[in-house]
Amino acid sequence: MSLRNLRPVVSAVPGASHLRIAVLAAVSVLMAPGSMTCGYTAELPIRIGAPLPLTGALSPEGVKLQQGYELWKDTVNATGGIAVGTVKRPIEIVYYDYQSATPKAVQLAEKLATDDKVDFMFSPFGSGASKAASTVSERYGIPTLAPTASSSEVYDQGYKNLFGTFTANDTLSEPMADIVKAKAPNAKRVAILARNDLYPLALGQEFEKSSKKRGLEVVYFEKYAINTLDHASALTEIKAAKPDWIIATGYINDMILIRKQMADLGIKAQIVTMINAPAYQEFIDATGPLADNVTSATWWHPAVRYESKDAFGSSAKYTELFQKKFNALPDFTNATGSAVGAVLQMAIERAGSVDRDKVRETLVKGGFDTFFGPLSFNGVGQAISYVPPVLQIQNGKPVVIYPEVIKGADLQLGVR
Amino acid sequence: MLYVQILINGILLGGLYACIAVGFSLVWGVLNVINILHGSFIVLGAYLAFFAYTKLGVHPYLFAPIAAFVLFVLGYAVQLTVINRVLEAPVLVTLTTTFGLALLLDNLMLVAFAANFRKVSLNPPLGIIDLSDWFPSLDLIVPVDRLASMLFALLFVSLLYWLLRHTVVGRAIVAVRMDRYAATLMGVDTVKVFALTFALGAALAGAAGALLSPIFPISPLAGTNYLGKAFVICVLGGLGSVSGALVGGLALGILESFGALFLGPEHSLTLSFTVLIMLLIFRPNGIMGKRGFV
Amino acid sequence: MKRPLIAIAGLSVLALVVVILPFTVSNYLLRLTTIAFMYIALASSWNIVGGFTGYPSFATAAFFGIGAYASGILRTTGSLSLPVVWLAGATAATIFSLMVGPAILRLRGHYFAVASLVLAAVLREITNAATVLTGGGMGLNLPTAGVVNVDAQTRVYYVSMLIAAVLTVSLAALIWRSRLGWAMRCIEQNEDAAIVLGINTLATKILGFAVSAGTAGLVGAIYATWIGYIDPTDAFDDLLSVKPIIMAFIGGVGTVLGPVAGAIIFLVLEEFVWRNVLNFHAGILGIIIVALLVFMPGGLGSVGRGIVKLRNYWRASRRGEIRAAAPPAVPS
Repeated sequence: MSLRNLRPVVSAVPGASHLRIAVLAAVSVLMAPGSMTCGYTAELPIRIGAPLPLTGALSPEGVKLQQGYELWKDTVNATGGIAVGTVKRPIEIVYYDYQSATPKAVQLAEKLATDDKVDFMFSPFGSGASKAASTVSERYGIPTLAPTASSSEVYDQGYKNLFGTFTANDTLSEPMADIVKAKAPNAKRVAILARNDLYPLALGQEFEKSSKKRGLEVVYFEKYAINTLDHASALTEIKAAKPDWIIATGYINDMILIRKQMADLGIKAQIVTMINAPAYQEFIDATGPLADNVTSATWWHPAVRYESKDAFGSSAKYTELFQKKFNALPDFTNATGSAVGAVLQMAIERAGSVDRDKVRETLVKGGFDTFFGPLSFNGVGQAISYVPPVLQIQNGKPVVIYPEVIKGADLQLGVR
Repeated sequence: MLYVQILINGILLGGLYACIAVGFSLVWGVLNVINILHGSFIVLGAYLAFFAYTKLGVHPYLFAPIAAFVLFVLGYAVQLTVINRVLEAPVLVTLTTTFGLALLLDNLMLVAFAANFRKVSLNPPLGIIDLSDWFPSLDLIVPVDRLASMLFALLFVSLLYWLLRHTVVGRAIVAVRMDRYAATLMGVDTVKVFALTFALGAALAGAAGALLSPIFPISPLAGTNYLGKAFVICVLGGLGSVSGALVGGLALGILESFGALFLGPEHSLTLSFTVLIMLLIFRPNGIMGKRGFV
Repeated sequence: MKRPLIAIAGLSVLALVVVILPFTVSNYLLRLTTIAFMYIALASSWNIVGGFTGYPSFATAAFFGIGAYASGILRTTGSLSLPVVWLAGATAATIFSLMVGPAILRLRGHYFAVASLVLAAVLREITNAATVLTGGGMGLNLPTAGVVNVDAQTRVYYVSMLIAAVLTVSLAALIWRSRLGWAMRCIEQNEDAAIVLGINTLATKILGFAVSAGTAGLVGAIYATWIGYIDPTDAFDDLLSVKPIIMAFIGGVGTVLGPVAGAIIFLVLEEFVWRNVLNFHAGILGIIIVALLVFMPGGLGSVGRGIVKLRNYWRASRRGEIRAAAPPAVPS
């Protein structure tokens, strides 16, 4: 028992007699040298702070991330822990619920840094919260891994401690635009409907750029308010503009509603892209037959085939382990949760220590082969090293249509 | 043609809105209680319909009366145990009490059902009516499920109207709304009337939830959206007036649809709330003009 | 004030604790105490309108949010110092209240409640839409105060929130003792009679509204610079309007020190519940609210009455009479 554990014991015993405290102190002092020797007594855990939205609007995502973290933690702890030099230290993840309120996420990040004194941190969910909390990480110099930060705006503060597993938003729009150009050569008109929020709007703007770059005409680009209950007017306008390619960004409920209302208004287009909802089983369940032929892009999918040197060994193994533990296929949010753990682990092992500076330097160098894909980071910490797969729902199942090496099927044109 | 389609969208949306608001308006008008629980009741009704459809195969429209009944019982219980105790208190207390109850119900639903969005996907789907099939020059589309909800809204309102005008219970409710003390003097059991009215409001919410389950994604977090709309509609249409809920709903639906067209979709919510404030300041009795009694 | 000796003793102890705290305890406890000051200020601010004049205001979130965004925008665009920015936040909120006050303060009861509640909603949407100025849904990142030393920062905000709380409670006490306070109490008891007495009720209400707005705006401004990030959903959160009301209820609506006690008790409850019940804290808050309002609407002072009520209810249900009281004889 280390001295650090003494405080809560004492405070749990109100009015403890001086004798009791003295005995406890004596015992812990005697025990302290024991934790210095290697191998025999339990090692001090490596503590990682993870603020999550376990309640509130983002709770589905928060729970998915937690599943990813837990799978990684359990897999690694089963082997004794992360190898730091010659010693294996177990992982301990300190969770707090920030109730989907970003200011609370920032406060909790601060708490994790100053009171819980965690060694490393995982960012909260989403680009907005990741950006806000990264200020805390920078202030305390804690290397922080962001599992769900894709917008480049997150990384534009010049911070040194932030590393994200998601590639930038244009890696979602560019391949999709290429496919459209190749497979639907007579598609000329593009309509974009984006939610007025950091990530969906940034993504919408990337699609606009990608379309224009290839000579497609963007005939409609509007944003809708968060919590919009009815998209009929926007969709009616879109219908009037006769687009060939419709792109919609937003949260799951927005995508479900928009897809339904598209059918309500009889909108047909060659290609319909929605990000990110179709990657979730929820979307397919909620939209039923309407989900067919909807395309999407995502940063990871069980169909990818990566061999890796991390705790999982390969993406196929990862999928298998996840299924065994949670009885469901992992989606990209689960996977990125495990991925940040895998990267951190490899960085610690390579650096041979948990010293923050050494680990940070190792992270900067990149070159991590994980089940999520090869991970290296650019100068501001964003991943730049892999190609996110493009998928399409065919017959009620998501199928990868790009890149070629892991393709499951071809793009099918025409959405009812 | 674009404008006509937008108008149709607005009217259908208005029907949905009327469904949402009619129960809320009843409770506000009769009990003088702003029932923050209303949104959560709608969500609960939607969940019940969702599970009935996916597990038992019962069509949401057929399930609506059952949802209404379940919520009726729940509403009756809630009113007798909690709301009744604060009925005489100022609006602050009643509003905050229902707010607390809503927090509780939402959290219970979150724990029970998780926050994942569900929606009923009717199989076979109800589809759409394409007017250009009959009149080739009319390029207008009417989704059948929204049309059905619109018709149901009219049905609810008519039933409620008939209930309030032509049954003893209904007359008692109206009497209590006019003057609760005089009603007591006339031998009306006000406690029972309050419980009944609140339960009726909850039942309407439950039925609305069932009707909306194929249209809107369902989650414990969706309740506040419905509530916000209900507020605006009640003020628009006139507090406590049942037909006012219909008028208010239609007005809001049309306003929002055209607002989204002319101002852009990101401003539609701003528009409805601004309209609400303007109305409260200049014409608190809404479009119907007076605090209607039926 | 009743029981002045107890109050003075309690205040002195509190003052001592407050002064010693920054030198002794962990940053975490300091942050918690800072939140306590924030709650005290907000509860007291609401009390001026809701308690003194009896107008059910749900506008606290609106004022808070305006203060937060005013300070946020000024910090990101200009290079003004913190106190200037805070003052600007308070001023912005006050100006806003003077703009909408005359219109909505003519409403009474439910209509006023709804109007004040909707203010926050409108502001939220406008803020979301004005992306260029406010960052819209992406939120606003405020630059740190330049003092990177964590301990110093925590203490700076501890002191500033403390000042905000002391300021608000002092203003409330001043108003309470003044003619303005007297006019407010008249309005609370019977507004029509107050008009007959010759009180300019509209001016009184507007003034109270403005003071409430300024103090809530100040708190919002400090909060924004403290956390370093705001977005419309959090700055105009409806709970910010409801929680101060609960706090005032706990301690005693309409008194000067009631909101102070209520805020502290509420924070302790909230912290305890949040730490231990990870996914049901909203539900527990709901239960607390309902229990409070149903059994103890008078706050701490009516704990005794609340217990009697519980006991009567229990006895009545045992006898099979689960009926509530009949309506009172005098119309309210």
